[in-house]
Amino acid sequence: MVQSLIHMLQRTVQKVPNAEAIIYGKTRVSYEQLWSISISVACFLSEQALKKSERIAILIENSPEYVEIYYGAQAAGGVAVGLNTAAKARDLETWIRHSGATWLFANAHHPELPRLMQTFGKELKIVLIGESNKIQSEYNWKNIVNSTNEEFDIPNITNSNDVATIIYTSGTTGNPKGVTLSHKNLVSNIQSILSYLKLTEKDRILNVLPFYYTYGNSVLHTHLAVGGSIVLENSMMYPNRILEKMVSENVSGFSGVPSTFSLLLGRTNLSEYDLSSVRYMTQAGGPMPPANIKQLLDELPHIQFFVMYGQTEASARLTYLPPEKLFEKLGSVGIPIDGVTIEIHDEHDKPVDAGVKGEICAHGDNIMLGYWKDPESTNQVIINGWLHTGDLAHMDSDGFIYIDGRSSDMIKSGANRISPKEIEEVIAELHNVQEVAVIGVPDDILGEVIKAVIVKRPGEYLESREVQAYCKSNLPDYKVPKIIEFLDEVPKTASGKIKRYQLK
Amino acid sequence: MTIEKQLRDYILENFLFTDDQSALNNDDSFLDKGIIDSTGILEVIYFIEEEFAFKVGDEEMIPENLDSVNNIVNFIQQKQNAI
Repeated sequence: MVQSLIHMLQRTVQKVPNAEAIIYGKTRVSYEQLWSISISVACFLSEQALKKSERIAILIENSPEYVEIYYGAQAAGGVAVGLNTAAKARDLETWIRHSGATWLFANAHHPELPRLMQTFGKELKIVLIGESNKIQSEYNWKNIVNSTNEEFDIPNITNSNDVATIIYTSGTTGNPKGVTLSHKNLVSNIQSILSYLKLTEKDRILNVLPFYYTYGNSVLHTHLAVGGSIVLENSMMYPNRILEKMVSENVSGFSGVPSTFSLLLGRTNLSEYDLSSVRYMTQAGGPMPPANIKQLLDELPHIQFFVMYGQTEASARLTYLPPEKLFEKLGSVGIPIDGVTIEIHDEHDKPVDAGVKGEICAHGDNIMLGYWKDPESTNQVIINGWLHTGDLAHMDSDGFIYIDGRSSDMIKSGANRISPKEIEEVIAELHNVQEVAVIGVPDDILGEVIKAVIVKRPGEYLESREVQAYCKSNLPDYKVPKIIEFLDEVPKTASGKIKRYQLK
Repeated sequence: MTIEKQLRDYILENFLFTDDQSALNNDDSFLDKGIIDSTGILEVIYFIEEEFAFKVGDEEMIPENLDSVNNIVNFIQQKQNAI
């Protein structure tokens, strides 16, 4: 097996040096160019005496630069930490501090960057991508890209359990969750995904998924591993533009979450576009209504549609539904991917029979090393080598898995798994809030939207807008509650735990 | 109230949660500035359809019509003139 992502990329570059790797607006980057700049990044970091496994944070939207920094960091023996570009300074500070990152590669125009520079000072070395009148740094992307790099040898990975990347899934100040993935985790999951998607160097995917999330991360690495091309679009805001790009770029693949497909089905006329080049589409990030799947396949009967399920903690993927079984097993997330074993466990952590509901537990080379610097949380989800996903499901007699719900309070809005605690923590900082509970309520497009139920302090005045404005300045926009309700009290159990189900 | 004022008030109130007029320029790109996302734009479309009594077609859901206050004002005026 290939040792690491950077070795996979090296193999691809040798095979198809002139093929297009990344297409971003008018910029088209070949594999040879991608490799050259990635190695420039690695050379720069090595010259700066980067130590093995030192963390390098990346705060830039999907772009060729993101990919070059990610691979360059790993080529230099570092750990890439892709940060959510929608996050506000409080989360970004928490993640940078918690990961112990010593370097930050950031878009010079990121609105939170001035505050990060002020907070960290010289503690954090910052490389600016692009130019801004407002901020300056000793380190500049242009100088790195223009440096020569002929003498660089990428290191051998002597231990495949070495950390390759950390992905933060939660921002609570008390308990940031940094999913820590090894080279083995990533490589094994990529190989498994390739075996069912059957990607080749001829494939071209249009990608709208952020690379700092595990789904986008896996789309990126799987396509680079085979020498395919990735056409980048950073928003689904204008879905007709996405379809036009799919046609003009002759793409063969498209990956989305349920809300992506809702937008395509609801706000475009798919039949007006020549999508005959599209071979496959994949869907993960929560349940997609079967009616939408049927409608999509009615409009595009020639495509293979892959329903998938996974978690960041599993490097991305755990199961897939073979397209030929899509209608026979509609509603199922399919069967375990190669190299993964799945069992449904009861409350005593014992496997249950077919048809019986329990928790999805998974075992395989793709299961994370743990949460960064958090053995306690790690031990709660990895027990005897099995990842306990917190998702409730049953398996039919043919081994197909059906998700029945979640055992945790996490909200699923779009493809985002959102901890209510993170939002409650922010709202509770308002002096006129006595108590707050955050829940997800059903929504046609997003699956769930966020609702905050607030008890004001006696005699205090508070408007919804004030709460939302405070959230917007401290949380990414997708975590700002859509609905605010003021109540006299929040229902609780005898032990004082909020009865969230009564608030829905 | 002018179309521009109605739109500005709606976007400030529902997406920026403020009445500070300086928080929004009429030529700010909603997409580039991260003011509105892919589901937020649907809410804007519902608002336009309700307030100005015309249907926004799928093919009209493009940045030239919707990606700033100025673009929307022009779009609404064009639609009203065409009636």
